[in-house]
Amino acid sequence: MIRLVAGRLATGAALLVLLSLLVFVGVDLLPGDAANARLGASATPARLAETRQRLGLDRPVLVRYADWAGGLLRGDLGTSVSGTPVSAILGGRVANSALLAGLTTILLVPISLVVGMWAGLRPGSRRDRGVAVASLLFVAAPEFVTAGLLVLVFAIGLGVLPAVSLIPPGAGPLDRPAALVLPVLALLLLHASYAVRMIRATIAATVRAPHVEFARLNGEPPRDVVRHAVLPAVLPVALQVWLLTAAALVGGTVLVERVFGYPGIGEVLVTAVRTGDLPVAQALVMVLGAGVVVALLAADVGVRLSTPTLRTAEQPAPVAFR
Amino acid sequence: MRWPGTRVASGVLAVLLVVIVVGPLVAPYDPAAPVGLPYEPPTPQALLGTDALGRDLLSRILDGGLPMLGTALAGAVAGSALGTVAGLLAAWWDGRSGRSRWVEGAVLRPLDTLAIVPPMLLVLLILTAFTGHAGLVLAVALTGVPLSARVLRAAAAPVVTRAHVEAAVARGEGPAWIVGRELLPLVAGPLVADLGIRFVAAIYVVTAAGFLGVGPSGTDWGTLIVEALPGVELAPLLLAVPVVLVALLAVSVTVLADDAVRRSRAVLA
Repeated sequence: MIRLVAGRLATGAALLVLLSLLVFVGVDLLPGDAANARLGASATPARLAETRQRLGLDRPVLVRYADWAGGLLRGDLGTSVSGTPVSAILGGRVANSALLAGLTTILLVPISLVVGMWAGLRPGSRRDRGVAVASLLFVAAPEFVTAGLLVLVFAIGLGVLPAVSLIPPGAGPLDRPAALVLPVLALLLLHASYAVRMIRATIAATVRAPHVEFARLNGEPPRDVVRHAVLPAVLPVALQVWLLTAAALVGGTVLVERVFGYPGIGEVLVTAVRTGDLPVAQALVMVLGAGVVVALLAADVGVRLSTPTLRTAEQPAPVAFR
Repeated sequence: MRWPGTRVASGVLAVLLVVIVVGPLVAPYDPAAPVGLPYEPPTPQALLGTDALGRDLLSRILDGGLPMLGTALAGAVAGSALGTVAGLLAAWWDGRSGRSRWVEGAVLRPLDTLAIVPPMLLVLLILTAFTGHAGLVLAVALTGVPLSARVLRAAAAPVVTRAHVEAAVARGEGPAWIVGRELLPLVAGPLVADLGIRFVAAIYVVTAAGFLGVGPSGTDWGTLIVEALPGVELAPLLLAVPVVLVALLAVSVTVLADDAVRRSRAVLA
């Protein structure tokens, strides 16, 4: 077990190193840099050269990469184009976004399991088809579109919830729980629909499996069949789906945040894109990339632990990193 | 009992495509010019009302569809094409040499790294360094390449060692013949299905980019959605129309792509 986790950690670290190279050196190949962004389109070549020298952008890309990556390792996220440290800009925003993602994940686990079972235990029934259609609609529609519809229904139509997350400076989103309802609901409709589809499909396949039929024909009550024969087969899949969803929610809250004006990383990213603030965008990609790697690692280890054949296998096959 | 989803989706998509393609020609007003007061309700002059600057919503919707669709299509095709090249290369060299899997290590691994970044984040990072239309196409393409490459490699790997390919190699056919006549016809199903999935993702990325203020034109539907948000209480229709249109487009394209995936699996099986 320890060897497995250590091996996966090493893979994850290697992935992050590769990612940092792509994010820094790859982006360097694209036109446009911090000097361009700071001076705007009307800058003269001489001014550009002078600013590049002052910012150290005239040094070779690998030297700058080493500087930047070394800073990341020490917890220094770099300096934005405007001169403020990136960590000061991010401030509590990463935590605010993580709150949205965390709440969504916590609610998603029971909801997707219950709805998936409710539909999947009777494959082909009317309720199963209803769940299939509804979840397809919410998976297919972009989450900012779902969020827009929620605003129209709950904020404009019914007038019961705020359309904008007005959170006064100094207060956290938790001081205004009403502001969290619609953003979490919008994220939930997308990600829970995905989880429901996966879990429903697994359950529908499991109830047709021989061991389940055997238990049923033996006269076990339906409740026991579900508990002893269906759930153990479904949980490893469900666990992986939940953790992959959590990974997708890292950085997946940006669009919904923007609909409601929620003070998360979305606003920072959009401002960074508009002003060409590369250091901020690069730092965020690395922070969130690390979050995704951790979630994938947890998914991999969790699946291994919850699947008996994998737990005892001599040569474990990697799942998430394949 | 068969769900009529595919037929409904084709119908909805056909209507949307007509609206998008013919739209710029039949828009009644200049999409950038004010034609009335701000936030006017629908009138016979402005059938869907006006926006915050008094511009005609109908004209803006009709004008913005084509750049949005064109960018998504260009990005999806570019991503799928690059992924196909990478996937076929990996399947060919690693599959036929049988010993070293260096193409996988040199090409597919770095692409996998791209896939761990949340797609919207990758798009925003690329657009930060490379603004404009070309940047958006590149961003859409790069979000799709890793998955396309994997799909095509998996589809092509069993084909490259088949007898007809060996025969073509022994005959001394060139690479263009082998790829065009021996490989591509056999992976066409997965390729089309993959292109469908890439297009679904591309529509999402392009409308989302518009929504975040870095869209392909000033009037693409994502931009219209974000512009409608501040005045949503005065003019709900401004938000409702683009939201419903993007939802219809995304859902119908998804249903059709799902169907293409299912049929390509049926052919392989």
